[in-house]
Amino acid sequence: MSKEAPQENQELIGRLREPATCRAAFNEVTRLYAEPIYWQIRRMVQSHDDASDILQNTFLKAWQSIDQFRGDARLSTWLHKIAINESLTHLARERKRLSVSLDDEEGRMADLIEADEWTDGEALSKELRKAVATLPEKQRLVFNMKYFDDMKYEQISEILGTSVGALKASYHLAVRKIESYFAARQ
Amino acid sequence: MKKESDILEKAGGKDGMTVPEGFFESFAEQMAAKLPPNPEAEGTVLLRPKTTWERLRPYVYMAAMFAGIWCMLKMFTLMTPSAGIDLSIDNNKVLSSALSDEHFIYDYINDDISSREVWEEMYEDSIDVDDVIGEEVEPGEPTYDLADPEATAPANE
Repeated sequence: MSKEAPQENQELIGRLREPATCRAAFNEVTRLYAEPIYWQIRRMVQSHDDASDILQNTFLKAWQSIDQFRGDARLSTWLHKIAINESLTHLARERKRLSVSLDDEEGRMADLIEADEWTDGEALSKELRKAVATLPEKQRLVFNMKYFDDMKYEQISEILGTSVGALKASYHLAVRKIESYFAARQ
Repeated sequence: MKKESDILEKAGGKDGMTVPEGFFESFAEQMAAKLPPNPEAEGTVLLRPKTTWERLRPYVYMAAMFAGIWCMLKMFTLMTPSAGIDLSIDNNKVLSSALSDEHFIYDYINDDISSREVWEEMYEDSIDVDDVIGEEVEPGEPTYDLADPEATAPANE
């Protein structure tokens, strides 16, 4: 299970800008980026079915606005941004639908993790997911990208539009909270 | 602090989440099949069949325009004071009798009258032509050559 983002391909970006090769190039983009984008979404929404739907919406939105992708930012950064927006919109919509406040979100996430059938069944992994679910959304995003995806702070900074210093502080705080979570259960 | 860091190290960056077998491969295929046309990016113009309304629209607009003009004309006709009055010649007794009178036509419509005709008319009106000929002509007054039946211009000019 590879969770690493593929290397940026300038030739692929060039083909995306050509009307004749645009569609075929986008299909290649889907093949290359579906997996890293999926994991980012899945770690935010927990459920495989929801993540699958959001992944589809992400690529549909990317395709519909592909002519607006100027290549100033990296292709992966652009896709991650769309995926994050879609994930956060989904979470807000679900909270509204289920009348769940931000404070009760932690409990709802824990229920989703417990009910998730697509796991390796390891207790530590499940507890780690629950611990991460206690973090505020922005902090959760930073922790996921740094700890699970092993992204560089510079790339996270590009995606979230936050300074590297603020990201380091946010990640440090997130680690402290997760550790506190485990400490409280021992 | 050391103990908590060990927990994350023990987890090894794994979250234990899995996906159904072949999920990503089938997702890429499904996505390729689901992508709608994108005219801006693909530089194509979508040629979709015209709907019935789109085909009929110009004719409906034209019919509405003519109906509007007809209604306007009808309204103007109703608003004019002479509305309802028949101005045709057949319904005007004076005008129709005048037009059927040969003399009227002759006098008022046919203005190409020769001196001879004037002369004949004077005769009919019992005007003595000799008296007229014998009259002295005032200086500057135009005279007519009565011998010339076609004369229409003064002879002394």
